[in-house]
Amino acid sequence: MSSNVLHEQENPGNSKFGFIVFLLSESIIFLSFFVGYIVYKTNSQDWLPLGVTELDTKGPFINTLVLISSSFVIYIAERYLHAKNLWGFRIFWLLTMLMGIFFLYGQAVEWQGLPFSFTDGVFGGAFYLLTGFHGLHVLTGVLLQSIMLQRSFVAGNYDKGEYGVWATSIFWHFVDVIWVILYLLIYMWK
Amino acid sequence: MKNSTIVKLSIIALVLAAISFWSGQQSYSWFPPQASLEAKLIDGLFSFLVSLGTFIFLGVLGTLSYSVLFQRAAKYDYSDGPAIEGNNTLEIIWTVIPFILVVWIAFYSYQVYSQMSIQGSKDHSDSEAIEVYSRQWAWEFRYPKNNVVSSELHLPVNQRAFLKLQSEDVIHGFYVPAFRVKQDIIPGKTIDFEFTPILEGKYRLRDSQYSGTYFAAMQSNVIVESPEEYQRWLASSAKAKRTPSYNQAYQEFNNKKSKLRGWRSIKPAEPPLVNNLSPGE
Amino acid sequence: MTNITNVAIEPANWRRYFSFSTDHKVIGIQYIVTSFFFFLVGGLLAMVVRGELITPESDLVDRTVYNAMFTMHGTIMLFLWTFPVLAGLANYLVPLMIGARDMAFPRLNAVAFWLVPLLGTIMMLSFLVPGGPAQAGWWSYPPVSLQNPTGNLITGQVLWVLAVAISGVSSIMGAVNFVTTIFRMRAPGMTFFRMPVFVWTVLAAQIIQLFGLPALTAGAVMLLFDLTVGTSFFDSAKGGDPVLFQHFFWFYSHPAVYVIILPVFGVFSEIFPVYARKPLFGYKFVAVSSIIITILSAFVWVHHMFASGTPPWMRMVFMASTMLISVPTGVKVFAWVATIWGGKLRLNTPMLFALGALVMFLFAGITGIMLAAVPFDIHVNNTYFIVGHFHYVVYGAAVLGIYAALYHWFPKITGHMYYEGLGKLHFILTFIGTNLTFFPMHPLGLEGMPRRVASYDPEFTFWNVLASIGAFLLGVSTVPFILNMIGSWSQGEKAPKNPWRAIGLEWLISSPPMIENFEELPIVTSEPYGYGGDHALVANLEHLEIDHE
Repeated sequence: MSSNVLHEQENPGNSKFGFIVFLLSESIIFLSFFVGYIVYKTNSQDWLPLGVTELDTKGPFINTLVLISSSFVIYIAERYLHAKNLWGFRIFWLLTMLMGIFFLYGQAVEWQGLPFSFTDGVFGGAFYLLTGFHGLHVLTGVLLQSIMLQRSFVAGNYDKGEYGVWATSIFWHFVDVIWVILYLLIYMWK
Repeated sequence: MKNSTIVKLSIIALVLAAISFWSGQQSYSWFPPQASLEAKLIDGLFSFLVSLGTFIFLGVLGTLSYSVLFQRAAKYDYSDGPAIEGNNTLEIIWTVIPFILVVWIAFYSYQVYSQMSIQGSKDHSDSEAIEVYSRQWAWEFRYPKNNVVSSELHLPVNQRAFLKLQSEDVIHGFYVPAFRVKQDIIPGKTIDFEFTPILEGKYRLRDSQYSGTYFAAMQSNVIVESPEEYQRWLASSAKAKRTPSYNQAYQEFNNKKSKLRGWRSIKPAEPPLVNNLSPGE
Repeated sequence: MTNITNVAIEPANWRRYFSFSTDHKVIGIQYIVTSFFFFLVGGLLAMVVRGELITPESDLVDRTVYNAMFTMHGTIMLFLWTFPVLAGLANYLVPLMIGARDMAFPRLNAVAFWLVPLLGTIMMLSFLVPGGPAQAGWWSYPPVSLQNPTGNLITGQVLWVLAVAISGVSSIMGAVNFVTTIFRMRAPGMTFFRMPVFVWTVLAAQIIQLFGLPALTAGAVMLLFDLTVGTSFFDSAKGGDPVLFQHFFWFYSHPAVYVIILPVFGVFSEIFPVYARKPLFGYKFVAVSSIIITILSAFVWVHHMFASGTPPWMRMVFMASTMLISVPTGVKVFAWVATIWGGKLRLNTPMLFALGALVMFLFAGITGIMLAAVPFDIHVNNTYFIVGHFHYVVYGAAVLGIYAALYHWFPKITGHMYYEGLGKLHFILTFIGTNLTFFPMHPLGLEGMPRRVASYDPEFTFWNVLASIGAFLLGVSTVPFILNMIGSWSQGEKAPKNPWRAIGLEWLISSPPMIENFEELPIVTSEPYGYGGDHALVANLEHLEIDHE
């Protein structure tokens, strides 16, 4: 069948190109949800569910700071890897993961304390849909990071390049940007 | 280009134009009767589009047919044809002319649409409006000023009709082919809709937006009559007792004698109670 | 260079085609054959629909069954026939046409394919659950699609949404693969403006998939939650907005029709030059028009909603954009006519199908411009005029175009020649059947017959009978095709490298191609369609493959 020899046309550049293309497409899903949120909010008279005057922003704000910072942390980890400092890479990579887990934990705590549910009107639906879908991506990011962390212990893992780390990192930045927009839409826009 | 070619092409163009004009004229007969002002506008637009379309279709088809008939390779001629790769002038012409044509069509259509103005204005009193209720799978018409409920829509001829369209469950479509008007009815919204009937007669009203099991059976009649007959109908209906109207979906659903097996369906709503019992459709 | 021992694929080894192969040629054939099976299934459903519509009354099947028939007919024809078969053709041809050994991501390619039988199985299983399959039309508009008479959680509608979601995942995988392959794996010397138009159109179509599908996914996810857990996104009874679903749906589904027709345009652009022995007229314009269509296609979706609750300004804006998209399309049509004009035509089966498809597309395009005119659309929206229009596109243009492609590349793919006589018979039956079935739908629509109806007023009987006869003829027309494909593949005359004396990279290698396609990657030295000229297509012809003859 198809041989495993690296032919003239295969190269990691293809994987990077493909991954970017994929992320661009993925961003359109979020864009669609954002548009839906905007349409619902601008068309409704009573946006927030009965009894809810406003959303508590303290927890989400802390979460936002943590997530944005984690983008810097993962960048530092990448620089260490580039300089072939494996332990530096691992420490900052692990730190990123912890920050991601903290974000998920904070999300869960916020969800627990909310007085409305997924089926509480259009607002409830939109809120949990957006934050849930985003949270799913954070979880995916953390899982990818854990795989990359494991792989960093395999001898000679980076001989052919650091595509996996690069992709996981880009994905993480993507998740971060999505969160910023989401935060502005849901928590800041009155 | 040779003069004789220009002459030949001009003759062909003239013949095509004549055929196109003729088919444009024929197109009026492909519609139901023109029972509304809007119908006249739309039929005129369509006739224009048919003429234009016929000209283009016959022109291209004619060119292709000529090639297929007269430009075939000789049986053992395996050589290539002329290496013509393009012609910028031609490309520009057949980009610009279609562009101009569609701009023209768009403008004409815009004019027709604004003349139709079927989506409710608001310069009439709401009390003149007829309330149209749609539900799976029945039409109900209420004339609140006269306290009349009917399963058929009665309208006076040559007077603007004002309707308030409402759905009680799913999206339905208010469609009267003879009037050439259509409006989806979105549940949760009351939609103001208007048009002007100009021809007395009985026409069909059909649900046009797929609405479930008995969608096809959700039809009724529209009766356009003289203002005097219209008033008489209102007066006599108001006096009549209200009884359940005939409803095809309801009948079919409840007559389990049918030998056709199917899956579970949403139950049809109870037929509306109407003053004016019409013969079953 | 490399030391690959290139081996010809054994077509007789049928087990390859049921395996998880990462060879784009195998995957291409898997897509094509799988989707053709579903084409027949979808066709059978259409036979039930047309059988019911021979008479005005609802007397052949129960109304719920009829509604399931047209719903699943549309769904299967789109998601299990049209999209996959075109993915299959593109999969087979694109690497060959750009001089690559395979797609950029061969394993992703295989995964994308195997999702298709999975989603097909789910669709078929939906016929067996209580309540039956989805019955809300292939659009699944809420609130109708949210109604659940059985009250069960797993309904045909839920399975429908899941299957469509899987289709989306498969398509996005494919799109990432095609776009990467075309951008990054073209052979040396093949600039963008030396790519065959088929590759341009596949690129354009796959870009549409990338930006359009996610919107459908978003809508589908929200619909699924409404269906299963009781959220209120589209349920007007709970404050939701059913028209918003329509926007999500059509924002993808309109561009989706260009995903369908663009590769078919690509097929026309490949076929007409070969059988007219002339270069494609205005190649650059034709190539660029594909991208213009892609861009414009994102801005026309509301023309499916002219009668929904859309405000007048929105109707006018989208009327303008819809009319505009006819301009680059017209450029292509005129280019093909000019390619054919003055050539030396041979009316082989592929050419006949391509010509028939072109004429029917022309008709569909003209009715399309009529539909763009809002006042006219208000009358015929949701009537049989629309059904007639789009079937002239998806059957008249796309199916015939796909047949043209299958015949044209059959020798390359299988290494055998097909039977020309059977091919011509297939064409005649198909051309007559298509027109007989779908032309009558236009007067029906003008007269006011709604679509999706299991019963109709008796005045519509005449045209309906004609359409049904045509439909049965179309069913029959598939027989010579199936016989030809099976018979020729097993018994047909061996095919040379280039039976049509066509110009293109795929015609420089053996029929069927070696496993890795090219012994040495071609070095492209000229523009495509060089008929009548004297430029060599490649500089290293002698090295392209070991001569096994």
